[in-house]
Amino acid sequence: MAITEMFLWWYSSGWKVFVGKLKTALSSITDFFSMGSLVRTLFKPYRQISAETARDGASLDIKFHMFLDRLISRIVGFFSRLTLLLVGIIIIIFGGIISFILVILWPIIPLLPIVGIVLTAMGVVL
Amino acid sequence: MSITFNLKNPRVHQAKQKRAFHNAAVIGLCYMFFFALLLGGIALILIHNSLAWLFIGFSVWPLMLIFWIKNALKDVPVKNTGDFTDLLSEDLLLKLKADTTPGNLIKILPTTSSGAFLMARFELSIPLLEQLLQYLPQATDPIYDSAIKIREKTNSEAITGAVLVVSLIENLPNYEYLLNQLKLSINDLYQGITWFNYLHGIVKDSKKPVHSGGIARDLSFGFTPTLQHFAINLSSRYYGDNLHIQQAENYEIIDQIIQTFSRGGRQNVALIGSYGSGRSTIVNYLAQTLLNADAKIPSNLKFRQIYSLDVSSLISTARDRGELEYLLNKIFNEIYSAKNIILCLKNAHLFFEEGPGSIDISNTLTPVIQSGSIRMILTMDDQKFLEISARNPALASSLNKIIVHPSNREETIKILMDQVPYFEHAKGVIYTYKSLTAAYRLSEQYIHDVEMPGKAKLLLESAASFAENSVVTEKSVETAVENSYGVKVKVADTTEDRDKLLNLEQLIHERMIDQEEAVSAVSNALRRAGAGVKNQGRPIGTFLFLGPTGVGKTELAKSLSHVYFNGEDNIIRLDMNEFVSADDVSRLIKDGASDSLSLTAQVMKQPFSVILLDEIEKAHPSVLTTLLQVLDEGILRDEKNREVSFRDSIIIATSNAGANTIREKIEAGQNVNDFKEELIENLISSNEFKPEFLNRFDEICLFKPLSKEDLVQVLDLIIASTNKTLANQKISVNVTPEAKQILIDQGYDPKMGARPMRRIVQKTVENIVAAAILSGAAQPGSTLTITPNEININ
Repeated sequence: MAITEMFLWWYSSGWKVFVGKLKTALSSITDFFSMGSLVRTLFKPYRQISAETARDGASLDIKFHMFLDRLISRIVGFFSRLTLLLVGIIIIIFGGIISFILVILWPIIPLLPIVGIVLTAMGVVL
Repeated sequence: MSITFNLKNPRVHQAKQKRAFHNAAVIGLCYMFFFALLLGGIALILIHNSLAWLFIGFSVWPLMLIFWIKNALKDVPVKNTGDFTDLLSEDLLLKLKADTTPGNLIKILPTTSSGAFLMARFELSIPLLEQLLQYLPQATDPIYDSAIKIREKTNSEAITGAVLVVSLIENLPNYEYLLNQLKLSINDLYQGITWFNYLHGIVKDSKKPVHSGGIARDLSFGFTPTLQHFAINLSSRYYGDNLHIQQAENYEIIDQIIQTFSRGGRQNVALIGSYGSGRSTIVNYLAQTLLNADAKIPSNLKFRQIYSLDVSSLISTARDRGELEYLLNKIFNEIYSAKNIILCLKNAHLFFEEGPGSIDISNTLTPVIQSGSIRMILTMDDQKFLEISARNPALASSLNKIIVHPSNREETIKILMDQVPYFEHAKGVIYTYKSLTAAYRLSEQYIHDVEMPGKAKLLLESAASFAENSVVTEKSVETAVENSYGVKVKVADTTEDRDKLLNLEQLIHERMIDQEEAVSAVSNALRRAGAGVKNQGRPIGTFLFLGPTGVGKTELAKSLSHVYFNGEDNIIRLDMNEFVSADDVSRLIKDGASDSLSLTAQVMKQPFSVILLDEIEKAHPSVLTTLLQVLDEGILRDEKNREVSFRDSIIIATSNAGANTIREKIEAGQNVNDFKEELIENLISSNEFKPEFLNRFDEICLFKPLSKEDLVQVLDLIIASTNKTLANQKISVNVTPEAKQILIDQGYDPKMGARPMRRIVQKTVENIVAAAILSGAAQPGSTLTITPNEININ
């Protein structure tokens, strides 16, 4: 009785629940890698190091040096964020593909024992 | 249409299935099968056996079963069809039967989580419910019907055990009477249901995933090493703590802070409110919200963190002022550069005044606040804000002030309901609903330095020490108040207390003679207080005793203190002839630190006492005007503007004004009641007392001069007191009736009352006893008999 109900649920609301779970997991991964923040602050100075701008009246030399420092900080920030962003994107894409495959395979999963029976009957060995 | 429990409802089946499968044993077994099949399959692959596919294929079924159990059987959702069974909570679906009777319900409900919760919080015991069974309807239909209505009234998701307990009570023919006996109302029980639903909701919400911004959240914000050292990160401390706000007004304040910080202009907020009014809760809740990635807040405030600067650690680290300013500038620079810090100065006055634990850094802080370059939240009480405003108007005008008001009763109870689980967890007790309402009521009455809800929380916490069998009841809260504040708040409930109150006159007369009117007036006042029917906004009683000297005015106050106020020491006596100038008003209200004998300091220390204002007519009119508020509302503010409550005191003022008139009238054979009104009129017309002053007293009692017959009893009391003194030496004195007569003849003076009598006894009896002790004539165990002869000889 319970097994029948499980199968019925699997092909009805179970599928929906599974998609919901995958969505939550992907959203948690997105949050974990701070994807939104990384995109928004991609070119910001790294941890605000040398982020100050020169005051009005500062000499050209100081202005140039500060600009250069800021530029370096931004470049460091950009690469560190880009690295994280790429790692995050790869994991999300990978997770997304796996999720997609699982969603597609969802109706087949309960049938895997039949596949097992068939393969065993055929005497397939590795 | 009859309302019944339908056993065939699909939800019943679902609940049963959940009970059967949704447990660690079944899930563990499934995992075991899964791993056994999978590993077995892998092992078979390794030995090139085709059965491996069978094992691996079948290994997915236990996994499917786990997924089904954990998701499909997680909840048995309520169906809003209006059908009784569709509305029942999960546990009831398993416990009710089609033929359940009200008697069965009484047994079932305490076994449900919500039923047990409600019964424990409202002290509804199983025997009590069993006693009520005979009054309940025979069938469950009306009980179920009421339950549906109660669910709607309390906005409950389901009909829970708690709803059914209340429904049972509502179905009693005269349930209001029962609830009155328990000092409850039906709305209190509804509150109990809401309380359970609220806590249940919190537990459910805590299982939802929270998003905090991830590993790269702070990459674009600067480092703050110095700040980390001298400040507490409220954001990380309270993030994920699931803090809640119960005051609608405080949500508005949080919105206001967010608006202030997300727009241009002065980037500061000053939360002005008394200690305990919830300023810290607002800041902590804001800290929690800003760090929540899912919160709906402007993007320029997302992931901003609130740090509370610790003034004491700054003071202890900096060797001198120069270093302190250096540290502060360093901290401000870090905050400015970091771009994600909101600085919080809790009890901000500590940063604007010199003193122990505080330092005046207004020179450094004011420009930072005025420039608005750093987001800042300051919290302080209104009095301190006024003081700072007077000293530094520029600073005050650059602050965005937000007033934090104390919570009202309804909000406070909700806050307590929210906080109680934390107290219970920390102290290992259970709080009843009445302990919460008592904490509100009594803290409102007795705690004056802290505001709501803080004071109710403090009282509730301290009441845990007086829990009975780990249950904090109304009585525990009352005991906490009595122990902490030295007052009596419980209605006399022991036989000893009741007997004392009922026989007060008799007990007082063991120490003083006659003056029935006054004795009865004070006794009645104490009985009203003991029975809990006194006006809570006034002292226990206020009396003016008028009469000649030596007739027992002061003695009555002392006797009262001895009999009811835990001893003669609990009398606060002020000789008003020491308060003859207008400047003396300040001595009444001096702070206890500078004058421990001021009226306010003594009452603050010992609120449950007799206050004796001796010779009140000699006090300066300004002093009397100051006392008007005490007599009227039982409140006086000391020089530090703290409210001092006199509501647990009995105030007795004595005066000799009109003494001659009283004596003359009594000697002329009149009764005190015949000329009382006339005497009071005369006192007013002769300007001895102002009418508004006399009007403030509950009662004005006239004391009669003592007659010779009264003096016999006074003499007996004086001799009894001498014997009490001699008891340590095991010697007693006996005065013969003839000797007593001589003493009375010598000691009687209608103008002086009983005072000369005491002096005569001292000169005669006590001198004789002293001589006998010194000469060895009186040995321990002996009784000295004093005859007229001896009195004459001496």
